[in-house]
Amino acid sequence: MNDQGIKSRPSYRPLSLDRTGRRHLLVCDGTPEAGAFAADTTARDFDERWTISPPLLSGFAGDEKTGAPSDRMFRGETELLARLDHRLKTEQIGLRLYATGAEPFLWRVMAVAAEAGMGRDEVRLFAGRPGPRRVYCNHCGAIAEGVVANVATCPGCGAALFVRDHFSRRLNAFAGIKVDAEVPGDVPAIEVLYA
Amino acid sequence: MTMQAGLNPTPLKLRVRAIETLAPRLKRLSLASADGTALPPPPPGSHLTLTLPIDGGRTRSYSVVSPTHERDAYSLIVRHADRSRGGSAYIHHHLAVGDLIDSAVPTSQFSLHSLARKHLLIGGGIGLTPLLSFLHALQIRGRALELHQICRADEADAFRGLLEPFAGPDIHLHTGRAGLDLQAILSRQPLGAHLYVCGPEPLMTAVEAAATSVGWPASAQHQESFGASGGAPFIVRLARSGRDVAVGEDESLLEALEAAGANPPALCRGGACGECVTVVIDGEPDHRDHFLSVDEKASGRLVMPCVSRAKTALLTLDL
Repeated sequence: MNDQGIKSRPSYRPLSLDRTGRRHLLVCDGTPEAGAFAADTTARDFDERWTISPPLLSGFAGDEKTGAPSDRMFRGETELLARLDHRLKTEQIGLRLYATGAEPFLWRVMAVAAEAGMGRDEVRLFAGRPGPRRVYCNHCGAIAEGVVANVATCPGCGAALFVRDHFSRRLNAFAGIKVDAEVPGDVPAIEVLYA
Repeated sequence: MTMQAGLNPTPLKLRVRAIETLAPRLKRLSLASADGTALPPPPPGSHLTLTLPIDGGRTRSYSVVSPTHERDAYSLIVRHADRSRGGSAYIHHHLAVGDLIDSAVPTSQFSLHSLARKHLLIGGGIGLTPLLSFLHALQIRGRALELHQICRADEADAFRGLLEPFAGPDIHLHTGRAGLDLQAILSRQPLGAHLYVCGPEPLMTAVEAAATSVGWPASAQHQESFGASGGAPFIVRLARSGRDVAVGEDESLLEALEAAGANPPALCRGGACGECVTVVIDGEPDHRDHFLSVDEKASGRLVMPCVSRAKTALLTLDL
């Protein structure tokens, strides 16, 4: 039981430069995975690359001046998103933004871009294989992080939630609905789908 | 919802309250409701489609320049077109205070983007009219804006008067395009700005080219054309009835269809809303609208009769 085919589920294409833009900023959650870029595109094609590179994992010491001016490293997502927010609010028109990484990161980037007034045609996103999901409980509004199976327990109200493909860009989460809401006790086999 | 052209489920009966000459070819009309009741609020960027007693009753659309909250009368500014198709000439030479006019309820196909971080308005000549209603709305909402208006030198005083209520460092009046560096203006705008252009076709083409060259995304560019303008006459064939209708050089395809009694659905009459989209069976359309995509225009399968014409002597439509 997996209701694929719901159109709100985002689909992603490998990143390529939007030639209608004048400046191109790429933000990455870690090293971009193979397949993140279209055949004619490499990370060097972007004017600037901002990368999350946690010091304990990468040995990166947190000094942003170590890389070339076009390369900036960030200690974590919170730092990168805060800098991005500041940057976009002082940017001029003509910038295009690109993001690659896990799906929840992409839509946090998109939220920052939208807050700065960027439209969907100014931002390109790429997520590789489907990773763990954020799931919004339609009954109590709590968010379950890192859901890998088709059924999750709501951290708010404890309901067993069926994870739908219905994705909310505003909430940056998939909809979760009480798994046996229609027929009490009718619970599907638990499958790991989003690891 | 579809609507028959020239018919409106809730028509208005308006009375001319005042006519003011702003310049030799510019008049401002104040139209109140005939029975003195409050009028429906005109949304920002809206136009009023009037039925004028020319050729036995033709409809013409004009932008409303008064603010949404003014409901005792609508204010319009009408330029006497150099090659008037009857509407502006009638208004300039025959319309009198006290006259009654049938009108549709004002609707807007040229709306403000509420999430924009700044609104850049560029007007050419009488194209200022929808921008005036935007200025009222943006002033009330306290939103960031910048306006560049181009006008003829001999009408500068009239345009300065129209912009006087909004005067400030972000309101600019230019006499002619010579001193106007479009690329510089367009490239210094903040991310999240939206652009609205209304004016003659060459200005709109130049602004679109300059905006695109400095990286404006298509979704942040908005245009409104003056609507129908003439061209070489041609014949339109209505495939379903087999009838041929002549389209004269000074009338639009839509007007010719209406005069022949074929009333295709139509709403904005300016190539913006898409209501009148019609399937082309044979012949090559001369696209002048802002609704069809580049691909749709290239396919030649669809046409917007309100503004577009034909490149071929015969155009066959699925009507």
